Amino acid sequence: MTDTIQIQIDRADGSLQRLIGLVERRGFHIDGMSLSDEGAMRRVQLQVRGRDEGRCTENLGRQIDKLIGATRVGFAASTYGCQSSVAA
Amino acid sequence: MSAVATAINAKAAAAPQSGARLLVSTLDRLGVEVVFGYPGGAIMPVYDALTGSRLKHILVRHEQGAAFAADAYARATGKVGVCMATSGPGATNLITGIANAMMDSVPMVCITGNVATHLMGTDAFQEIDILGVTLPLVKHSWVVRHPADVPAVIEEAFHVARSGRPGPVLVDLPKDVQVGMTSDDFGFHYPNDVTPLDHAAIAEAETLIRAAERPLIYIGGGVKIAGAVEALRDFAERTGIPSVSTLNALGSIRTDAPGFLGMLGMHGTKAANEAVQESDLLIVFGARFDDRATGKLNEFAPHAKVVHFDIDPAEINKLRNAHVPVVGDLKAGIEALTARVATASLAIDPWIIRSTSNAKRNAFRYDAPGEGVYAPALLNELSKAAGDTFIAACDVGQHQMWVAQHCEFARPESHLTSGGLGAMGYGLPAGLGAKLAKPEAHVVTISGDGSFMMNIQELATLRRYGVALKIVLLDNASLGLVRQWQELFFAENYSEVDLSDNPDFVAVAQAFGIEAFMIDRRDQVTDGIARLLAAPGPCLMHVLIDPKENVWPLVPPGKSNGEMMHDTRFEGDM
Repeated sequence: MTDTIQIQIDRADGSLQRLIGLVERRGFHIDGMSLSDEGAMRRVQLQVRGRDEGRCTENLGRQIDKLIGATRVGFAASTYGCQSSVAA
Repeated sequence: MSAVATAINAKAAAAPQSGARLLVSTLDRLGVEVVFGYPGGAIMPVYDALTGSRLKHILVRHEQGAAFAADAYARATGKVGVCMATSGPGATNLITGIANAMMDSVPMVCITGNVATHLMGTDAFQEIDILGVTLPLVKHSWVVRHPADVPAVIEEAFHVARSGRPGPVLVDLPKDVQVGMTSDDFGFHYPNDVTPLDHAAIAEAETLIRAAERPLIYIGGGVKIAGAVEALRDFAERTGIPSVSTLNALGSIRTDAPGFLGMLGMHGTKAANEAVQESDLLIVFGARFDDRATGKLNEFAPHAKVVHFDIDPAEINKLRNAHVPVVGDLKAGIEALTARVATASLAIDPWIIRSTSNAKRNAFRYDAPGEGVYAPALLNELSKAAGDTFIAACDVGQHQMWVAQHCEFARPESHLTSGGLGAMGYGLPAGLGAKLAKPEAHVVTISGDGSFMMNIQELATLRRYGVALKIVLLDNASLGLVRQWQELFFAENYSEVDLSDNPDFVAVAQAFGIEAFMIDRRDQVTDGIARLLAAPGPCLMHVLIDPKENVWPLVPPGKSNGEMMHDTRFEGDM
């Protein structure tokens, strides 16, 4: 099950390494990746897949949101690996 | 988060300054008083600029000591800790300290020198890609590429370190940036990224609390970080809801308060763990469901709904789903919840009576048989003797768990411990940093014979600056916690845990010029504590304890918190 995340990211030192390291460290394979120029920023599209059951792409998205200089701009995620949702 | 530096409004400065001088003047302008560090080739321009500044630089004897001291300085004061080191080995020696601050959300700015920009990437002498090496361990990091960027990057670094969920940041300064001259000084404009209070979620939390029969407050380290201690205490007192605490949050509610059931988790109290397992509603304030707190996760609090307050959205549903997540500032959130819930009393008296009487019935006992020093009793007595200004700077191991279980804490800033990382060697430099931050407090490093040797060189720093840190060295001549696990879970196969050839710690301390004495009998404890606390300068009390003493109770690894093992010496009449 591969999910797609699009991120707009700045050109600061280490920014790509920071993003890719985060995704792998949080337990995801990167099956595909593309990079395009957007002037002062770059756009990265990642196809990611959890390394094992229980790796929830939504949780990964929230970790990406914390990266300084990176913004999620597209997110097509399954709920695979996420705990069953609970009613409030 | 959108804290991108917006370096605008360049001001015309009178005289050109070096990047190193701009660094020092920016630190001064930001209110930094103490910097912990160690010089070397690639950061010499900064050390040149330090002389004549108002900054107090504490020269440690190993860079790891600088990072740990800055971390403890930050924990004790709530300010941002600052440490600095040179490139290469200086920078890599900071790493354990950076990881420690990251795991426990401690605001810290680490400044490293590096080789000149044109040499980066050429394997130059003492060149390390420290930005790359530390990427998983920092909240953010920068390489400064131009001297004029120094003030803006440093200001942004402080902002990132302390805003939201705090953490360590790293600023790498190549040598040419330190010596380069500039007349420009770019300002940093703080982004306004305050999350508005989620009133709808707080109303849902109120509904769950009113419906609950067995609600329980689960306090995490976020309460202290958010300055929400008074808000939490008000909520707990006005609702009467009992509480449990993580290791890092001890003291958020006074440990002697009536509704406080103790620490939860692997070495938590029976009352705390049983309350969690019975609870039908966990009200979580700034905690992250760490495995040492939860035990076997899918059997943790099996009957409970969860209301989770946290400033970090990534903690919501990370390990345990929240029925009601409340993301935002904890202090404002708790105050808003209190305003709603405390208007009418909750019908939870039977639960309060049951859980608090369970805590009384299972209170720790200090009447262990024997004549030797019983470390839990010593630590309990020490914290009472030191009183409300007690600050414990713990190392890692059995003594760390005994401190958490047996010391009384009036404030969360009173308990400095390497919670998330569990880094042996934290205690001595942490005590140094805390005593420099709080000279009026009774700061006591509590260490073990394994941990103490990991940063023993900082005794020289205590001596140099006359820092009146007190040290209790609990010596069981072994790596006690590993030994305990080998006894219980590895069929008593004791592998590489014997430290019976330790040096004479009293002689070692005295060689550093530090007062030291040894005790090994229970009847020496009271006088020993009095002598230690009364000593005018740094002082070490070396305490010989029984190598076979274990930390009880204990949730075995992989088990549920409902399956605790207890001290068999006290069984039958508990």
